[in-house]
Amino acid sequence: MTLFTSLIVAVLFGAGCFLLMKRDLLRVVAGTILVSNALNLFIISAGLSRGAVPILPFPDGELADPLVQAMVLTAIVITFGVAALLLSLVYRVYTSHLSLDLEDLAAAEEREAEDDDRPDPQADEDELWTTGEDER
Amino acid sequence: MIVLPLALLWIGALVTACLDGRKRSTQAIALAVLLAAFWRVIELARAVVRSGPFETTAGGWPPGIGITLRADALGVTYAALSLGVLFAALAYESAGRVRSRSFPALVLAIGLGLTGVFLTADAFNFYVFFEISMIAAYVLTSYGERTRQLRSATIFSLVNLVGSAFFLFGIVALYHATGTLDMVEIAGRLDLAGQNSSALIGTMIFVAFSIKLGIFPFHPWLPPVYTGTRVAVAAILSGALANIGSYGLLRFGAGMMPKQLELASPVLVVLGVASILYGGILAISRHEPAEVIAYSSIGQVGYVLVAVAIGGPAGFSAAILMAIVNALAKPLLFMSAPLRGWALGIPFAVGAFSVAGIPPAAGFWGKASLIDAALTTGSSIERVSLIVLILVGSGLSVFYMFQAYQREYWEPHEQEGRPSARGRLAVVAGLAVLVVALGVWPEPMLAAAKAAAAVLAPGGGS
Repeated sequence: MTLFTSLIVAVLFGAGCFLLMKRDLLRVVAGTILVSNALNLFIISAGLSRGAVPILPFPDGELADPLVQAMVLTAIVITFGVAALLLSLVYRVYTSHLSLDLEDLAAAEEREAEDDDRPDPQADEDELWTTGEDER
Repeated sequence: MIVLPLALLWIGALVTACLDGRKRSTQAIALAVLLAAFWRVIELARAVVRSGPFETTAGGWPPGIGITLRADALGVTYAALSLGVLFAALAYESAGRVRSRSFPALVLAIGLGLTGVFLTADAFNFYVFFEISMIAAYVLTSYGERTRQLRSATIFSLVNLVGSAFFLFGIVALYHATGTLDMVEIAGRLDLAGQNSSALIGTMIFVAFSIKLGIFPFHPWLPPVYTGTRVAVAAILSGALANIGSYGLLRFGAGMMPKQLELASPVLVVLGVASILYGGILAISRHEPAEVIAYSSIGQVGYVLVAVAIGGPAGFSAAILMAIVNALAKPLLFMSAPLRGWALGIPFAVGAFSVAGIPPAAGFWGKASLIDAALTTGSSIERVSLIVLILVGSGLSVFYMFQAYQREYWEPHEQEGRPSARGRLAVVAGLAVLVVALGVWPEPMLAAAKAAAAVLAPGGGS
């Protein structure tokens, strides 16, 4: 059983890392989700004891470790929230670049850097935003 | 009493999340909440100074079952520092124009996460608070929502997610090896775990915090993120969020796994030296001030790493001092660089002096304590090479900071523009005065660092 679980964790983690190396941003996000889920499985398998459900009144014999279950529940919620956040971020990147290829994004970055070839682009932006007519 | 700042920040974040953050009133609420939380943390610090560290267990559970919050000198110092930087950054942004309705709420959420991280005594709870602040930071990095910010938010969140995954692996493995999540008990029981597995766990946790800090081989995400985000967010990331990295190295490395830290100290020295040289040399080659500051922060965390590797009370207090000085100088530089107006060269120069470690600025005490710590190391070869290295690193930073200053303030700019908002100038001036004041009267800062280091390495004098 231990070998089986560790194999699954390893395969999930490896597949996630493989996807993290991809050029397509959506695959990269899928990779992070796989890595996080490998982690959740790892948390469950790190329990100190195995056995019956730890609900009062306790049955005889060994009980399962309840702490890892509490931890994995927290981790699943965090994984879920982060995955939703990442997907919405990737969607915003798509709507502003019309591409999810990392090479295209890098090219867009270089184009922008050439476009605003002023001494300090960020300073100018700030000027416009802070002292313009928007001041309330 | 420990719960109070957390509760204030949590309720403040929830309330401001429902309000429109672009309105002055919401920003005023958020600033007031941050100030109140900062004040509570200062009160906590006073109580710690008076009667030593103390703890509460949440929900009235007996200790060992419930989740424990603990305030000691190390955590309180970091919490006060981070809340102060967050306050400055929020005031800076509010003085101009806040561009999204969620900005004040996100800053408060980061404050909640950071305060929780610094005041918890439970390893898993540390992870949860850590994720609270990281997720708020992922969203905050995209603040402004131009293509640049979106790209930097994507990089930042993907890289740091991998870092968080490593950290959680480490925590869970610690639980499996020791059977507890309480930090003090983990430290006591780690010998049960066997040398190999504890070394592996230590490596994982070290990698996780190195990614947060941006130490040399884990740094590539840092410059595009710091230069791509808006100025106030860059100040928050460099001044408040980066504190998690150095705090984590100290708390987990020095506090919980001292033997593993000692084992790894040659590696830490090598990586720290590589960071100092790499950051310094690349900062010289860059032109945009934000980029220079970003690379310089890679160099500066190298000092923290070297100080942690030296260890002992002197090394740890040097690491804490470097972290404090950094957390003040970096936001000052980021926020003063884009401003235009009367005598703005002065705050930038103060920040530059602090980074370079030249006397009237606080940075001098960081470097001085590091040299002091280097003198405590074993052989004379080690001592000499460390001191030479620190001086070479300082030389590099004088060079690149002077270059940036010259480019920014000696050459006339084509588009001078109108002077920036007064509030922003006031925030920058306040930070500059603070940095100089801590340089001229360093006793409180030195005392805080010494007390915090005593938490990690009890006993020994400096």
